[in-house]
Amino acid sequence: MSMLPFFEWMGGLRFSAFFLESVWPTPIVQNIHLIAIAVFAGSVLVVDLRMLGRGLTETPLAQLARSVEPWLYGSFVVLVLTGIPQMTSTALKQYYSPFFWWKMQAVLIGVIWTLTVRRRISMRTEAELGPVWPKMVAVVSIALWTSVTVGARLIGLMG
Amino acid sequence: MIRSLFEWVDVMPMSTVWRESLNGYPLLLTAHVTSMGLVAGIIIFWDMRLAGMALTRVPVSKIQATMFPWMTLGLLINAATGAAMVFSQPMRYYPNFYFWMKNFFLLLALVNMLYFHARIGKTVADWEHNPVTPFPARMAGYASLALWAGIIVTGRMIAYSGLVPDWWIALELG
Repeated sequence: MSMLPFFEWMGGLRFSAFFLESVWPTPIVQNIHLIAIAVFAGSVLVVDLRMLGRGLTETPLAQLARSVEPWLYGSFVVLVLTGIPQMTSTALKQYYSPFFWWKMQAVLIGVIWTLTVRRRISMRTEAELGPVWPKMVAVVSIALWTSVTVGARLIGLMG
Repeated sequence: MIRSLFEWVDVMPMSTVWRESLNGYPLLLTAHVTSMGLVAGIIIFWDMRLAGMALTRVPVSKIQATMFPWMTLGLLINAATGAAMVFSQPMRYYPNFYFWMKNFFLLLALVNMLYFHARIGKTVADWEHNPVTPFPARMAGYASLALWAGIIVTGRMIAYSGLVPDWWIALELG
């Protein structure tokens, strides 16, 4: 089933026209999106570096993971909310961009990874985990979110 | 004087080669944005600790000691890719309002950081375990958060070279 009709529908929305026809809403939404990326990256990296045995090693992993969770989830919600108008207002460009699909697949895998494996591992007592598991989980997490950023930036630059 | 510096770079053979490279700019900008996550992500959490907004159970000196190398790594990639973009298109950046705003904010962020180190940082040992830090430390944290938001926003706005104040356009820089 092609998703083209869905993207055509999004592009035709009054909401999308508003963003295309006005000057400031698009850059404002892009800037909030970018600040949320920084908060999200920080929330991910503080815990991933910790799982790699770097950074805040004197803080228990589970305590650290729990304390940044509100920022992790909060910034992700902001990213989705500010991503929607950017997607709908350029729906066909997104549909035909290979980088858009690359990004969205990486986001989907990233979300699943973060909510399942990474969450289980980061909330457990470290002594039970051994040295290898947390490192592996962190490397996958960093790789996934890096590929999201790279894919996203290339939508705009390479179409 | 600044203009002639930018013009001098503009005609350098290396600048021309980079400018005409097909994938150079997209790769540099992508690396710039990605490493921004590392720099700004760490700085934001460091600042939020100072401001009492996050990581309140982590001693301030631990964040400083263990995260500084990672922040520096990101900063080096950011500075290198940023400088390379300016080097390859100097006459695109010279007349750009947001480019100069961003550099101004970067300078203020640096001053804020140095001031923190020279003054407030000296007493870290006395309060670094408290979830609520002293007023000057909180202010330094809020100031840095605001400045880094400004750096990110003005950096993004470089692409919107037409959305600038009229008086700037009247300067007719390029």
